[in-house]
Amino acid sequence: MSFGYLVVEVRRVLRSTRFLIFSVVFPVLLFLLYVGIFANGDQAVVGVLMVNMTAFGALSATLFAGGRLAVERSVGWQRQLRLTPLTGAGYLAAKGVTAMLLALPAVVLVPLLGAVAEGVSLDGAGWLRVTVGIWLAVIPFALIGLLIGQLGTPDSIQPIMSLTMMAMSLLGGIFIPVDTMPSWLLDVAQILPSYWLGQVGRGAVTTDLSVNLGKAVLVLAVWTAAVGIGVVRRYRRDSARV
Amino acid sequence: MNTTQISQDGSRTSAGAAVMLTGLRKSYGDVRAVDGLDLVIAPGEVVALLGPNGAGKSTTVDMMLGLTRPDSGNVTIFGSSPRDAVAAGAIGAMLQGGALLDDATVGETVGMVASLHRKPMPVAEALRRTGIEDLAARRCNKLSGGQKQRVRFAVALVSDPDLLVLDEPTAAMDVQSRRDFWKSMHGFTNTGRTVLFATHYLEEAENYADRVVLMRAGRIVADGSVAEVTSLVSGRVIRAAVPGATESALAVLPAVTEVEVRAANVAISSNDSDTTLRALLATFPQAHDIEVTAMGLEGAFLSLTSSENGADLS
Repeated sequence: MSFGYLVVEVRRVLRSTRFLIFSVVFPVLLFLLYVGIFANGDQAVVGVLMVNMTAFGALSATLFAGGRLAVERSVGWQRQLRLTPLTGAGYLAAKGVTAMLLALPAVVLVPLLGAVAEGVSLDGAGWLRVTVGIWLAVIPFALIGLLIGQLGTPDSIQPIMSLTMMAMSLLGGIFIPVDTMPSWLLDVAQILPSYWLGQVGRGAVTTDLSVNLGKAVLVLAVWTAAVGIGVVRRYRRDSARV
Repeated sequence: MNTTQISQDGSRTSAGAAVMLTGLRKSYGDVRAVDGLDLVIAPGEVVALLGPNGAGKSTTVDMMLGLTRPDSGNVTIFGSSPRDAVAAGAIGAMLQGGALLDDATVGETVGMVASLHRKPMPVAEALRRTGIEDLAARRCNKLSGGQKQRVRFAVALVSDPDLLVLDEPTAAMDVQSRRDFWKSMHGFTNTGRTVLFATHYLEEAENYADRVVLMRAGRIVADGSVAEVTSLVSGRVIRAAVPGATESALAVLPAVTEVEVRAANVAISSNDSDTTLRALLATFPQAHDIEVTAMGLEGAFLSLTSSENGADLS
């Protein structure tokens, strides 16, 4: 892995209008729109919407970045890279880092708008949680993206990604805030990592229905480990076969 | 059993070999793709790997590059494993198939690969050598088939490798692009690098290879210079205009192995062209415009790689 390599990887994704729409434009626009519709000046609601849209942008960016593996695999680019000193671990690490870099626009822009345009006020630790905290909390999503990218084909990847993104954001308390969820749905939501991603930020803006940060981090760490093992195994099997 | 090793000069012994394949085998299910292959390539040799589809060329190439693990046998590239040779940047390869990213430019593609190697040549030089400097800013999905091949050549070249492996490098190129491609290739081989290329175009092997390796059914059936491989097939082809000739009438002439009739023009392959020609003139005295030629590499290729004949040569 090298700096120049990463720069090209990031630049390639930035060329995709799909990426820009879902992971940059949507989170920002939806945040402003939802505040106008639902908040009625309630700062707690504005805060929750800010956290949720930040989480949405970051998770869709990381999932999207990983899904692109499917194309690289099918055109033989992965094989070409195996003829360079880049190791399998290096390849996957570069993809993971790229995904994390691509989550940055949402993680910076939405909270910035929250502070500047919507008057959200938090202490330093709170801002750290809704920016750096959410950013780090999408690590398992970067890995889920890599796993799906290795399992899917260029044809199947878009529907799989859309479904995953919908499930994560609708059922995980991102688009439908946990405050409005019926209790059975709240039980379902906790199965998804997106619920815990939302919780990492939520605790900074409201104490209502929020869980302990330590618990959220722990659950996400377990997700990271489990999916991480899946990604490595799948890559090994894949590269042994071809 | 049916390997025809013609020359065994000292340069092809194992010490310091660029490529050494010993007892290589690989099966996919019941299919034996590579079935006991031994090959030593000396540094600086330009070797053409020929064979019909399914002969095991691509599988052999993949094992050389460490992309496929052999079931048994051994691969060494400049004395080390393929993986180590790749890590050292000693191997550059053009694989079969697309292998370019639609959303990256030509310059980015070559630059990306260069950035992964320890001692790459400057990207601009790789582009210049493959004649694509003017395409540096173009997206890879906006390239013609021939241009794509050159980009892939630049990708293979940018690590400044000692061994270049090309799997059908000129597929999808028109005649002019092919000529240009081999011209830039010459610039590379003149510096003493080793090249192995698999191809379907026999004239490329004839024009550019020092040595030809012919494969059939996972084995090597002939190995030597073009002249040597050609001489393995003793037959000649008699071409003539023979009014009224039929395939069956020509096939019964002595020493005939194959007959092709197109209107009045016939092509007769023969093991003993003198005898066949005398009989032809006796049967068809009106035959004219007679021409007798050696089989050439194409004849040798067909003869050695067709299943009945190959095994008898030794």
